[in-house]
Parts: sequence; C-alpha cells; structure tokens
Amino acid sequence: MTVTTQTVTVTVDGVVVEVPAGTLIIRVAEMLGTAIPRFCDHPLLDPVAACRMCLVEIEGQGKPQPSCAVTVSDGMVIKTQHTSEMAEKAQAGVMEFLLINHPLDCPICDKGGECPLQNQAMTNGQGETRFEGTKRTFPKPINVSAQVLLDRERCVSCARCTRFADQIAGDPFIELLERGAKQQVGTSEDQPFDSYFSGNTIQICPVGALTSAKYRFRSRPFDLISTPTACEHCASGCALRTDVRRSTVMRRLAWDAPEVNEEWNCDKGRFAFPYTSEGRLTHPLVRDEAGNLGPASWPEALRVAAAGLAGIGKSTAVLTGGRVTVEDAKAYASFAREVLGTNDVDFRARAVSNEETAFLANHVANKPMDVTYGDLEAAKSVLLVSFEPEDESPIVFLRLRKAALSGTTKVFAVAPYTSAGLAKMKGTLLAAGPREEVSVIASAASHLSGDSVILVGERAAQTPGALTAVAELAAKTGAKLAWIPRRAGDRGALDAGLLPIDGRNTSEIVSATGSAVKGLVIGGVSPEDVDGDLLSAIDKAQFVVSLETRHTEITAEADVVLPVAVVTEKAGTFRNWEGRDRSFAAVIPTPGALSDADVLGELARELGKSLSVSDFWASATKPALKADAASTESVGNGQAVLSTWRHLLDKGSLQSGEPYLAATARVAVVRVSPATAQKLNLVDGGTATVSCCGNSASAPLIVTAGMTDDVVWLPANSEGSSLNLPSGCVVEVSQGGN
Amino acid sequence: MSLSESTRVQAREIISRYPQARSALLPMLHLVQAEEGYVSADGIALCAEELSLTTAEVAAVATFYTMYHRKPAGEYHVGVCINPGCGILGGDAIWEKLSSRLGIGHDEVTPDGKISLERIECQAACTHAPVMTANWEFLDNMTPESAIDVVEKLVSGKEVMSTRGPRIRTFKENELTLAGFDDGLVDEGVQADEQMLAGLKRAKELGQSAPGVKK
Repeated sequence: MTVTTQTVTVTVDGVVVEVPAGTLIIRVAEMLGTAIPRFCDHPLLDPVAACRMCLVEIEGQGKPQPSCAVTVSDGMVIKTQHTSEMAEKAQAGVMEFLLINHPLDCPICDKGGECPLQNQAMTNGQGETRFEGTKRTFPKPINVSAQVLLDRERCVSCARCTRFADQIAGDPFIELLERGAKQQVGTSEDQPFDSYFSGNTIQICPVGALTSAKYRFRSRPFDLISTPTACEHCASGCALRTDVRRSTVMRRLAWDAPEVNEEWNCDKGRFAFPYTSEGRLTHPLVRDEAGNLGPASWPEALRVAAAGLAGIGKSTAVLTGGRVTVEDAKAYASFAREVLGTNDVDFRARAVSNEETAFLANHVANKPMDVTYGDLEAAKSVLLVSFEPEDESPIVFLRLRKAALSGTTKVFAVAPYTSAGLAKMKGTLLAAGPREEVSVIASAASHLSGDSVILVGERAAQTPGALTAVAELAAKTGAKLAWIPRRAGDRGALDAGLLPIDGRNTSEIVSATGSAVKGLVIGGVSPEDVDGDLLSAIDKAQFVVSLETRHTEITAEADVVLPVAVVTEKAGTFRNWEGRDRSFAAVIPTPGALSDADVLGELARELGKSLSVSDFWASATKPALKADAASTESVGNGQAVLSTWRHLLDKGSLQSGEPYLAATARVAVVRVSPATAQKLNLVDGGTATVSCCGNSASAPLIVTAGMTDDVVWLPANSEGSSLNLPSGCVVEVSQGGN
Repeated sequence: MSLSESTRVQAREIISRYPQARSALLPMLHLVQAEEGYVSADGIALCAEELSLTTAEVAAVATFYTMYHRKPAGEYHVGVCINPGCGILGGDAIWEKLSSRLGIGHDEVTPDGKISLERIECQAACTHAPVMTANWEFLDNMTPESAIDVVEKLVSGKEVMSTRGPRIRTFKENELTLAGFDDGLVDEGVQADEQMLAGLKRAKELGQSAPGVKK
C-alpha cells in the first residue's frame, strides 16, 4: 500500500523544510533540533495550549502563537525564541507568570533535578522575579488517591494529568476545578482517582505537583542509578526504567517503547516491587532426618536435591509458575525432559485443560510474531474471548481503547456483562456465561473478517470447547488469532516447551502425586493459583525441590529449597503475548544471586548431566485439537454458573508490601442479571454470598442489566473476595453474608 | 434535602432537548439549584449518573461558573455590579450600604436565609448603571437608598417588580426558569425601555443601517 502524504513547505528560524501537512509547529521545530520550551504539550495527548510556554512568532500574525496547538500551513514563516525577540520575550513573560505562585521548594521537591519547570526556568526565564506579593498557598498535600498525592501550589495547570486520565486511561476522576487564580486539580469528594494507570500522571507531571506516596521524599534524581528493564507483572511486555539508590529499588517508571507500551504502564508494574526485597530466602534449606528444615550450604543442598531426585527422575513432575524468563524456561524444559526424563511438566499455575494444551501446541507455541499491538490498532474489529484486557493485560486495553476511540477498530467481547473496561473501549457485548460461550463464539463470525483479530485469554481453558471454537472461527473468517496469558513468563515458557506434551498437566500432576508422580520440582508457584490441592500433593510427594525467591507455603513443606534471583538481580528476557522478546539487565548486581537456570544447571551437573538448548517444538508431536465435553452438571434452585476473573490489583504475592497500591484496588462485587436476582431472591445493594465446595465469598451485590441469566460473576482472589474457583463451576448464591 | 424522583424526570426531559447528552449539564445544574438552592453533592451525583459522567467532571463544570452555588443561596440572591462603570456611578456605595446593613459580605447569606449577596461582574446593562440584580432580574439605575428599599421589600415578602423584566420570584423558582422550564412570565414587565431603544430610534431618524443588512 502506498501512502501519499501531502506536504507543505515552512520556514523555521530561517531553515526551509518540507513537512507533512497538519504537523504541529512544535514537532517541526523538534525535527530540526530546536527545543521550544513547553509544559502542557505531550505527543500522546491532544493539544490544549494551556500553559502558553511554547509561544513563537508567526510572520503576518500580530500576537505570539502557541506552537503546540498550531499546525503548519504552506509558506508559513515561524520564528522561535532563537530568532524572534517577540517569542523570547513572550516565553520569559509566561515563565514569570508561572513562577508567581510556584513555591521555591525545589530543594525538598521530588521533581527537583529532573523538573521541566526548573530546567526551563533556567533556559527560558529570567533570574529575578518582579512579583512582590504573597504567593498563593494550599494545604498540602492532598490525596487524589491513596497512592497519588497533589501539592496544588506547585501546579502550573498544564492539564497533562487530567487529559491523560480522560483521553488515555478513560478514568476522568481528576479534573481542573475552580477557575482563574483558584484553578486547581482535584477529585470529587466521593470518588478518588482510583485508576489502574494513575501513576502515569505522576511521571508526566512537568512539575512536582503530583508525587507518589511510595516515592515521596525517598531520594533525589541525581542519586539514582537507572537501568532499562522489562515488567515482570503481565504479558503486556512494558519497557520500564528501574531506579536504584544504594542497592535498593526506589521507583519504576514507564519507559519508551512506541511499538509496545508507548510511554505508559500500569500501577502494578510501576509500584509493585517491594516483593523483590521482602522475605527473601538468603540461603538454601534442607530437611534433616528429624524432618526439620534448616540452612544448608549450596554444595550440600545440591547434593541432597540430586540424591532425592536421582532414583525418581522419570516419576518427577516440574511446575514452573508464570514468572520464568525465556532463559529460565529453557533450563526448566531441558532439566525436566533431558535430565529427569519426565514429560510431566507444565507452566500453567491455574485451571488447565488438555484442549488448551492442544490449542497452545498447534496455534501459539513457537509461532512467529504475527499479531502485534500495531495490528490491534489497524484491525477493523477485535473479538475478545475469555479476556478482560483492563484487568488481565492493561497495555492491550490502552491500545484497544486508543484504536476504538480513533474510530478504526470496533471491539466485541464474549463476556457475561459489559465491564468498565469494555465500556471505556466503546465495545459491544456478546453476552455469554461460561455455558453459552461456545455458541456465541461461533456466531461472532459476522463481526469478523480478514482484517480482524481474535484475542483469547488464558481463561478460555476453563470453558470446554471454547478454544476449539476460537480456532475454527479464525479459520473460517481469516481473522488473526492471538493468545494472551496473564503472566509475563507464560509465552516464553510455552515456546520453551514447558507444556505437557505426552505428559500430565498441572491438575493431573496434582492428583497423581503420591501415586504415579513421586517427586516434584516447583518454581514460582502460589498454591492457591493451582486448580487442585497442591499443598496436600506436596505432603504426599516422596521428594520436593522448591526453587523460590521468598519464604512461601511451598518452601515450608519442601525437602530442599534452593533460593533463586528475583528480576532485579539477574538479566533475562520475558516474551510478551505478541511473541516479542523484552530483555532486561540486572538492576542490582548481586554476588551469589543465581537465576533458576544457573541453579538448574548446577543441579544437572550434580546429577551427572548437563542442560541443552534443543528446540523442543522442532520434534514435538502436537496433539490434535478437539473440544472437551461440555459440563452437564445441572443448575438447581439457589444456584448459578460462576464466571470469574482476577482484578488487575489482586491478592497476588508479587504485590505484597505496597499498601498504597493495594488501597487503590477495586473492591469485589457480586453481579447477576435482574432475572437471576429475582430467581435467587437477591436484592440490589445487599450482600450476596457465593459458595461451592467449601470455598465461599461474600460481597455487595450489583444487579447488572444486560448480563447473561443464571450466571453469577465475582472476582477471584481479589480485595473483598477470597473466592478461588474457575469459571463454569455451579455455585450456591444466597442473600446475606458477612 | 434529597432530590426527588420528579427532579430526575425533569433532568431527563432536559437531556432529551439536546443531540449530545452532555450539553444538558448546565441547565441540569440549574435544575439542581431549583430543588436544593445550591449545587449539592446529591445533585452532582444525579447529573453524573444521568449523563454517564464522573462526579469530578460535573464538579469541574459546577465550580467553574459563578452562577452555581457551593452552599445554599438566600431566598433572594442579590447582586451588585462592581465593575468600573457601575462602581463609579454608585455601585461601590450601594455595595457598602447593603453589605453593612445586612451584615454580610460577598458570597454570604443572612442568618435567616432570606438574602445572599454577590459582587457581580458586568451585566451588559451599563446604560442603566448602577445596576443590581435580584435572582438575576434587573434592577436598574439604583441608589443606596433604593437598594435598601428593594431588599427590605424582598425580606418582608412584598412584591418587587424588576425594572426590566417580570416580578421577582424566589431563587429556586427562578433557577427552574434557567433550567429551561417555562414560567409563563416571558412577557411580564418592561421588556426594553427608552434608554435601550434610544440608539435604534436615532439610527432610524438618520436612516442608518448596518452594512450588508438587507431591509
């Protein structure tokens, strides 16, 4: 496709350039290497011309014009502060105005040292103020959320934060209130700025008005050592920058990756890092003959682990969890299949199915990168199946929202109700509970064409037949197909071969432990994530080796515990949902910190073998994809079919130790349709209890119009809900509870 | 006081007048004031709910415009123009007199809730300076004495006619008119007086017309 761009010729500071029509003056200047000072301008936000800092002279126009909001026209002659006295004087005047009420608290301000206002006051302002009055002050700071703090007297009313909240995140809970000299950013009294993306406003604030409770007063920018990193919290694959002071991570920022996260990230990726330094395992642990777990040297621990695994290698299963890097995943794959000789290996610490195994083997594993963020933006329509992007892959959500708002992409979701995220993407609900999903997927063909993308989430494994239906739909319509897991390590693990081809899957491993499965090698797995009782399986196992970063319920029960490095201590690569490798360097080089791959290599050596780098999928026999049988369990009186997923900010172990972040998490609610509420005698606004097989949770009930009947929705393992069941379960729903 | 279901019905009626629902926000905020006497938190919530906005977005609008009150206005909200024209011609003196007689300042209400005062900006009625308003109806060519007289009549419940408009009703009644509900008073009182029409009359005498306007 050839793209013809109409161009215009303009002159900037005497330099004649040809640029695409419609380019903003400030961008043309940037192309020429001319920095025009600015605060409100942000390339990813709509122009607003609020701060007036970027004034330039345009020949033929009497007054200076904001270069961030005026597009070039043919023959335009523009003079910046470098060649125009008018522009220079206008900028110095604006700077003087902006500083009238700005406190001179740079020495104690978090932004001092990396502050556009401080820097540009130096380059484009004047040394002295003529203002002799009293500066306007406010009580400081105020919480716009538990995490985001606002010092109003520092604000220059650039509206970057409010535009971000409205245009990018779709959470316009902060606004410019009042007017004139009293104008200030604020929230309404009843609704704090609880957005999954709120931290971005702190990063793009061009002054120190917005700070995080986490980082406020913790360090100065010039004391930080910054390292480009990749986020370990989900499969979106954000580029981050991690800032360290005296071997402690002080903060993480979204970093530039135009093809992935643009310049944004989510609050989980930004703030959930205290886990890297809390409750860490510092040395190996070995269980002695009396059954007590005690410290051991590495040689001893490796020897005991090797001895324990030596006789039962072929009947040992390997569970790796979702946070493995590509490098670690390859090591686990080789260790399981070649060193231990077992095919009982699974990266999926969640509900799984053999239908999913076949789907992943045939449609995802080791495939080239054929669906990208760019494809989402270009697609005519995107169908979401078992996937709630805002909760499960927030950067996918941001990109889909951008595409939907620009008018190119129409979003459809097979889901039980219109979630907040779907509404923000202006998406269309194809209502379906777990039992209706398969037929609704099949009938979604009318919304798709060769210019469409189907995004299917990991939860599809919970619905028998869904993945087969999705594969058929893609084949029938020509739509591209991508699978988006929740965890950062999942795609890399899959490509490395940590899938039970000719072996037992996670659930089968758990139920066979103690009989056919004798030993377990467990990486970063939280027992509550697994569908089945992993802790009692560990009890029954003859020998358990745990590779962990921190003390957990599993390390407490293991026979040998081998401490491994967290992401800050090692270099590695996460492969995101696109199949794009996101490499990161060690942020805090730590002597003695060993990655999972290092430890497995040593353990292999102890067993007299070595790890290889063979390509598992080159020779793997892929099982044929066929639909599992649908559930026939009847839904009786007082019962409904459960639909559930986790909130982005949930009770996941990697979010521990960050109370300000946790306080911004969405609180659980129970949802049912009006008809179902009537049938089950549930009252809107009351408390409802959902229970099944000894697991129950109570939360406020919201009767949700447009929701599928006979379905109850409740978030899993999230604030206000300890429910931990897969979708599709038949659950009891009753009014009341605590 | 909480908002009644009929307020919600009226709000929906306002929304139905506009192709873009959000355009209804300004009259809806007047509707809230007609009910509550100010823009209450309940009112903000109602507007947000009916227009699918966040309460912050509604609050941003409600706090930007000075005609929306953050606390209950008096039964009669009295404005005195203090911009240069009116101020010099007696507006400042009127303000001093009213403020000291009532014992309240700008944006304050008398303890009995009858009168609130506001130093208002130009009302585009400089031909009638100094100008006052009572619940946004004009009171032209005022003096400190006539101002006191008007306010005393309002306090004692006597009918006061606007010098260029209908009889002055309560703040809440008038807010309902501003919300776009017809009060039937459109033709009551003086519509345009001699001073306003003097220029037009003179132009006609001289046979003048605006350029490009066809007769």
